[in-house]
Amino acid sequence: MKYFFSLILLLTLICQTSQLYEGLSDKQLERLEHISENIRCPKCSYGNINSSNAQISRDLKEEIAQLIIEGYQDDDIFEIMEDRYGNYINLQTKPKDNLVLYLLPLAILVISILFVTIYTIKKPK
Amino acid sequence: MIGRLFKIIFLVIFFLLIVSMIVVLNTPKTASIKTQDGKTFPDTTNLRQLNGELVNPLEFTEGKILVNIWASWCITCLVEHPFLEKISQEYPDLKLVGINYKDTISKANNYLERNGDPFMYSIFDNTGSFALKLGVTGAPETFLIIDGVIVEHRIGEVNRVIWEQDFEVFF
Repeated sequence: MKYFFSLILLLTLICQTSQLYEGLSDKQLERLEHISENIRCPKCSYGNINSSNAQISRDLKEEIAQLIIEGYQDDDIFEIMEDRYGNYINLQTKPKDNLVLYLLPLAILVISILFVTIYTIKKPK
Repeated sequence: MIGRLFKIIFLVIFFLLIVSMIVVLNTPKTASIKTQDGKTFPDTTNLRQLNGELVNPLEFTEGKILVNIWASWCITCLVEHPFLEKISQEYPDLKLVGINYKDTISKANNYLERNGDPFMYSIFDNTGSFALKLGVTGAPETFLIIDGVIVEHRIGEVNRVIWEQDFEVFF
């Protein structure tokens, strides 16, 4: 009996999920999943719209599904969201936004190698 | 010789760290939600009021309009409501328009009957699609629109302190 109810529950969940985003192919559903994983819930302090149960997160996910159906590319959708809510909404960080973070260790490494090399070459035998 | 060289390396690295720290500290913090200030108010064509009448889109293109997102299920809206009533009395020339967000007509009308109606009219947005276009994240939110442009957007309750701090400057 326990297994029967579990099966019914599982089937209900599967039916509900497929009804939510009708008209999306498997590939489009994957894209929806990817975008939703990387869009921050505007109402929450942290977390993406996939993990959030806030009304706005559900609305945004539906809007993104609609935009995918209308033929928008992932970058266009991220741009629409950023234009509306700012880059706070985008959980994907762009390298150009963190240039110091990426380049500083590299710069320190290069300078250190340079100094050690110069020292080694000039070191009297 | 070795000691001098390492001192130089240390100083260079230290200098780089200081420079990077200054750069990072002076970089504007962007990790907060963007309000809709400076944007044009979206087109209201085909939107309906709570009484079923169509909204006149031209009303939003000139003059000062205070748009408030509200719902009968929203507790903070209820807290904010008396202040909106005061604003409608204090600024008779200011048009107050409500956007009834994800609600039902009967519950919305009951709410206004019970608590008073400070709005010229309320737009009925039961699906929240117009609010989404407007950049609303929930209720309550308030927009001050001057000649069709959003000049102030408040996410959350508007009270006397917030009004004096952010909105009064436009009057």
